[in-house]
Amino acid sequence: MDEPPAVSPNGDADRRVAALQAELDSVRRREAEYRAKMIHEFLDRGERNTYLHVLREERTALIKREQEASADLEILTRKIESAEARVLALEAELALARRPWWRRFLPGAAVDPSPQAAGKDPVPGAPFTYYLHTSPFRVYRDAVFTLRGWAWPEDGRAVTGVRVDLDGRLFVGRCGIEEPEVVARYAPQPQNPSPGFEITFETPPGRHSFSLEAQLAGSEWRSVMRTSIWCEPHS
Amino acid sequence: MSDGDAQLRWRTSRSPLGDRSAYKKVWELQAQDMDVASLAVAGHTDEATLELTARGTIDILRSTVGLSPDDVILEIGCGIARVGLPLSRECLHWFGADIASGMLRHAAARLRDRPNTTLVELSTVGLQEFPADSFDLVYCTIVFMHLLEWDRYRYVEEAFRVLRPGGRCYFDNFPLDTETGWKIFMESYSYPVDRRPAHISMSSSREELGSYLSRAGFADIRLHNLPNELIAVSGRKPE
Repeated sequence: MDEPPAVSPNGDADRRVAALQAELDSVRRREAEYRAKMIHEFLDRGERNTYLHVLREERTALIKREQEASADLEILTRKIESAEARVLALEAELALARRPWWRRFLPGAAVDPSPQAAGKDPVPGAPFTYYLHTSPFRVYRDAVFTLRGWAWPEDGRAVTGVRVDLDGRLFVGRCGIEEPEVVARYAPQPQNPSPGFEITFETPPGRHSFSLEAQLAGSEWRSVMRTSIWCEPHS
Repeated sequence: MSDGDAQLRWRTSRSPLGDRSAYKKVWELQAQDMDVASLAVAGHTDEATLELTARGTIDILRSTVGLSPDDVILEIGCGIARVGLPLSRECLHWFGADIASGMLRHAAARLRDRPNTTLVELSTVGLQEFPADSFDLVYCTIVFMHLLEWDRYRYVEEAFRVLRPGGRCYFDNFPLDTETGWKIFMESYSYPVDRRPAHISMSSSREELGSYLSRAGFADIRLHNLPNELIAVSGRKPE
């Protein structure tokens, strides 16, 4: 007579336990995978939840405020310059009116109201696309100031030099500084692949005529922008 | 003169702590090239010794907090991923966090063939880059000796936050009451007072490590005397 097959009385139970354990392990693994994915998603969101992010946001807000303040100062400066030009024109008219009537008709009698009339001819302007990281519209407190920015002429020529003309004194700067974000935003400039520049100039006390100038294709100089600046060192 | 005036003058008369707390600066300088970085975090430069010592650390982790192939693990102060490289073969995913981006650059080169690894640069002391309740295991080895006590505790608190309920933690340092610990202490002792480096090694006591975990809320806190004569503390975040 054949023996019945040897079956462990707990065989079915063992198999069920093993199956349950395998399922439990599988669930644990899926849960761990989910957590790892969640951590990656959190990291992908960047620094939004970090103190560093808060500091960067505050820095961005401060830069924006500074830019707005510079823009306000530029408007005020331009208004002062406009009023000054008007004053000069009126003074010239008054000077002319005070002369004996017959001298008004002599050659050279007209008075040039331009502030540059007494000095050398200013460099002519040209249309540029530019931005100044360190705005020149400010009250200058230190002995020197470094102007940083980027520029290229709208006719596409290469900028081969930069300088600041302050009341006729020339301060030569450095051009060809990389500005990858600007190039990415405005499309590459074939003649100006690195359109950044920086110029350090002295800021003696008082009011000065300021002109930012660029040399084009190694030849003539053109004014990018000009304005008046005020230098008042801390007392 | 009022007490308020004196308080103000006392505050302004204090000298800064120096670079001891400037971890990012200190460790970026030590991460300039792989050999210097390797010496700074492990004391040697050859890959075979790195692997050997990492194996030793993994054995310690296995015997103190246990390791599972399903573990999502975070190492605080991973450096060049000395431990992370071999450990990533034994877990689901290994995250390495370090305050020095230079160290992570070397780590990334060593981990290029390990897809289940992620490196994260910490912005400052803490784990604010990571979400809460996420990891199965957070460990920090051969790091506490370079931190001030408050920063050690900050990482313990942060480990508690980022661990899932039931998750385990591990921290180690050298004590003064072992031959190895005393040797490390005497190496630091040999520096002239005015030439001590910012990263100079400083010991921990068992009571200190235990207090950190206890105050942070961990349960099942255990102190370990390790075979390499360091001490470690482990704990579990309550369910």
